[in-house]
Amino acid sequence: MLGVKNLHKSFGSNQVLKGIDFNVDEGEVIAIIGSSGSGKTTLLRCMAFLEQADDGIYTFDDLSKDIRTISRKEIKELRMKMGFVFQSFNLFRNKTALQNVMEGLIVARKMDREQARQISMAMLEKVGMTDRANYYPDQLSGGQQQRVAIARALAASPEVILFDEPTSALDPELTGEVLDVMVKLAEEGTTMVIVTHEMEFARNVADRVIFMENGVVVEEGPAQEILSNPKEEATRRFLRRILRNEEE
Amino acid sequence: MSDRFFRIVRILIESFPKLLVQCLKITVPLTLLSFFFGLILALILALVQVAEIKGLKQFARFYVWIFRGTPLMLQLFIIFYGLPSFGIYFKGFPAAVIAFSLNLAAYNSEIIRSAIQAVPIGQTEAGYMIGLNYFQVMTRIVLPQAARIAFPPLFSSLIGMTKDTSLASSITVIEMMSVAKRIAAVYYEPFWMYMETGFIYLMICTVLTRLQSDFERKLEWKQPVEVKEAMDRVEADNLAHKFRWKG
Ligand SMILES: Nc1ncnc2c1ncn2[C@@H]1O[C@H](COP(=O)(O)OP(=O)(O)O)[C@@H](O)[C@H]1O
Ligand SMILES: [Mg+2]
Repeated sequence: MLGVKNLHKSFGSNQVLKGIDFNVDEGEVIAIIGSSGSGKTTLLRCMAFLEQADDGIYTFDDLSKDIRTISRKEIKELRMKMGFVFQSFNLFRNKTALQNVMEGLIVARKMDREQARQISMAMLEKVGMTDRANYYPDQLSGGQQQRVAIARALAASPEVILFDEPTSALDPELTGEVLDVMVKLAEEGTTMVIVTHEMEFARNVADRVIFMENGVVVEEGPAQEILSNPKEEATRRFLRRILRNEEE
Repeated sequence: MSDRFFRIVRILIESFPKLLVQCLKITVPLTLLSFFFGLILALILALVQVAEIKGLKQFARFYVWIFRGTPLMLQLFIIFYGLPSFGIYFKGFPAAVIAFSLNLAAYNSEIIRSAIQAVPIGQTEAGYMIGLNYFQVMTRIVLPQAARIAFPPLFSSLIGMTKDTSLASSITVIEMMSVAKRIAAVYYEPFWMYMETGFIYLMICTVLTRLQSDFERKLEWKQPVEVKEAMDRVEADNLAHKFRWKG
């Protein structure tokens, strides 16, 4: 459904993505893991056109194209079919939770206000935030903000949602409420690509796990296999370190 | 001693309405007009820089460099005394409005530009990801947030402008300062005359400061309706309580 082939991206002389092949099928949940600086965020951002990739083939449903030749108009249409959840939430600070969710429906999709309101309230319901619908982001906890951000990403019923470490900016006691929402989405068959350090979550929710290091995909496969019996030494080393950190 | 005292009081009382009339007729309109035009021009100068429009961006930088790098008085003189050499004549008041607007635009465009750039890039990116285009992201997300950031420094600039209008007296505009000078010269009481004039400037600035805090409260997007209502209730209860105690 969404995929890239041979994706390259450099920042100046720093080569961050060195030929990534990646693909997500409809209904699939993919977890991307890897140590900090390995290029996970950059990969996600390139797929959302928040960074301009240097080279690669981009695939979305029927479209398959050199990523450098995708026009601004096509980018806008593609973005309408995906959702993005940021590490730092990025809720619009000048809008209430409800307005955040409605914004894309009203402005980008020209939906009438009442219909947009109903859909948005349903999305807030899904993430358990209806009682805070009229609150501004500054008045919500990190976990609540992220749940609203998920509702905002869901509102336009995207074909796929990209999550960039959705719980990394949260206090440990707040990660649960966000992960619970994502588990629910996975059960409903939402297509998701999730960059995460939550190994337990990845094991339970992801169909497939991708391990990245230094801008390449080192290993990928079913979640159980990668997390329990990784073939590559690099993967093993990473998992050992993560587990040790979690125990501390 | 007491003769002198009563004379001063009489001068102050007689001159007060004259000063106030000149303030309302010239100083206030001069300030408001200059600030209005200066703000529009500032917004344009800031936007072409943020949008990185080639040519216009460089022009805006050059403009700011010129108008911030030279004295306001000199800009006033060039427009009023200098341009006539090229056959361009302005009366005092319009010349002052032009000079003040152009000068304010330079300072205010820097305020607005830095306010826009202070809005986190994540706001823009989130806007793009829900399908908004550049124009929609700017008008619906970035500019409303930038307005709140820019508001206090823009208000300072307005207060500064109010006082800088006194420079217009140097190009024959009879504003409040010119009247004060004239009266001071007639009665030989410069100290008290200028104190009184200062008092009127202070009053204007007090009103403006009050307006600023009212507007700032309006611009906040923090209180959800229910919380605000609850807090108003608490406040009302407190007031009622105080009232009971006194009664
Ligand atoms: N905007 C940027 N400009 C320059 N370098 C960047 C930028 N974004 C990321 N990088 C670099 O790219 C590399 C990968 O970063 P990132 O994709 O954020 O990794 P991860 O998400 O896996 O931690 C890092 O070395 C980082 O310093
Ligand atoms: Mg990252």
